[in-house]
Amino acid sequence: MNAWSLPFDVMRFELRRSMTLGRLALWFLLVAFPVAIIATISSIARINLGAEFNAQELVEPFGMTLYFLVPEVTCLLGLLLWATPAISSEIEGQTWVYLTMRSAGRSTVLLGKYMTAVVWTLSAALVSVGISALIIGPEVSFRLWWVLSVLSVLSCVVHAALYVLIGAVFYRRTMVAAVVYTMVVEYGMSFVPALVNKLTVNYRLRGLLADWMGWEDARSQAENIFGSESATTHVSMLAVMALTLITLALWRVGRTEYPTQQEG
Amino acid sequence: MIELQHLTKMYGNVVGLNDINVTLDSAAYGLIGPNGSGKTTLINLLIGHFRPTIGSVTVFGKTPTRNREILRRIGLCPASDVLYPNVSALEWVRYQVRLHGIDRHQCGKLAEAALEIVGMTEAMGRPMGTYSLGMRQRTKLAQAIAHQPDLLILDEPYNGLDPVGRSEMTTILKSWASEGRGLLFASHVLQEIEAVTSSFLLIHGGRLLASGTANEIESILADTPQDVVVLGADASRLVQRLADAPWVNSLSLTNQRTQLNVSLSDTAEFYRLIPQWISDDQLSIDRLKTSNGNLEALFESLLRHHRGETP
Repeated sequence: MNAWSLPFDVMRFELRRSMTLGRLALWFLLVAFPVAIIATISSIARINLGAEFNAQELVEPFGMTLYFLVPEVTCLLGLLLWATPAISSEIEGQTWVYLTMRSAGRSTVLLGKYMTAVVWTLSAALVSVGISALIIGPEVSFRLWWVLSVLSVLSCVVHAALYVLIGAVFYRRTMVAAVVYTMVVEYGMSFVPALVNKLTVNYRLRGLLADWMGWEDARSQAENIFGSESATTHVSMLAVMALTLITLALWRVGRTEYPTQQEG
Repeated sequence: MIELQHLTKMYGNVVGLNDINVTLDSAAYGLIGPNGSGKTTLINLLIGHFRPTIGSVTVFGKTPTRNREILRRIGLCPASDVLYPNVSALEWVRYQVRLHGIDRHQCGKLAEAALEIVGMTEAMGRPMGTYSLGMRQRTKLAQAIAHQPDLLILDEPYNGLDPVGRSEMTTILKSWASEGRGLLFASHVLQEIEAVTSSFLLIHGGRLLASGTANEIESILADTPQDVVVLGADASRLVQRLADAPWVNSLSLTNQRTQLNVSLSDTAEFYRLIPQWISDDQLSIDRLKTSNGNLEALFESLLRHHRGETP
């Protein structure tokens, strides 16, 4: 019990020290920007359609927009800020040596920081999804809300593991490496109609979106984007990805002689 | 307590540490060497952060890289500063103790006790961003001793401390050493270490040049060519006395003729004769500078001994 609760204590410490004006402002920004975009689109649709506005009929464009804004953008932006610099921030702050010389230091700190990144980003994503779903329309909000909430959870869990691994491998120019990976693989290769897109997180998330929202037309018309596998396959693949990535990150952190930036 | 066998650490083609062999019992030791000499590399090897390229490190009979639990018996106060501005000393020290896997309820008590030892009780609830450098140094020491280790390793602990802070730090370290617990204290200032312990490890260019007490190191130096600088208006007049002495290796006089650099193979003979010469010739000599007061010269002498350039 004592050992199992260690990553939670790291998370508590990390969340405590993240209570700064800058960090809180970023959290609100992550919540606000999808809400602002959805509110703008919704207002335009209501003005243009007037009495003919029917949220049920517009659930697919609204759902896809909200999916793109939250699980694919908000979650990734939040995790880029939190999960990617998990190691590099300690190295740059010259505090890594304090952590690495603790008997449970390296692995516990990495797991704790991973959990912190997930919790911090996910909280912003869930609030954003909740408010946005209500803006789109109460008649569709429940299904849209739970599907996008679950997708946000999956996005945060898997992407955080991915960024933590990138941070553990590329402890110099971490952000550059993570942004390049995201643009090339998650936003680029995930749309390539080949085997390679099945190895991306966003492909799996899009497949689940179409499956859980029952958008069969979209799946049949754009199989390379939404896939044809079952939800179970997608979830299993995401679970395997998350476990593999975090295990690799733990292994890497346990083995690497990161610089302590000290002289002498 | 510590056993190093043929310990070598390479950073690519650069030698960090070179074939160090030493066994240290549980006591206080000063690790002295100039900046870049390999002190921090040695410390990183002792805490298992680095793996030796060649050779082995054992601390309390175990290899730190393979037995992370041994770190619970080691406390480290690194040279680097702590940069968690909005976290209090109590929160940080408690967190550091907790990372050793110590029970959550005990961590607070241990942290408070350690902060009391270093005199930080009053300020321990304040964010560390409001601390002076001296307060941060004391907080760093608190995190190193809070889990009650058997070996305390300090890397330049006097950095940034004012004279009062230095005195307080010396008192704490002396008290630690007097309890019979292990202490390894790295510094590039000899006087700082001398105030706490008389046992030294002298490291330079990644090599362990000498180890032992001040007397033992002096006896090594007695057989080693040493440089002595003679300063004074009549320094040049000593040349005629020294020129024929068989234990003088070389002499050089500066342009101002007030500084005479003498390389000696037998310092005892030099020190026996020099007062007599000064008296007989009524010379005005202000002072003699030896390796005792000049760390670079001391290391230079030890390097010669290390290379086998003894008479």
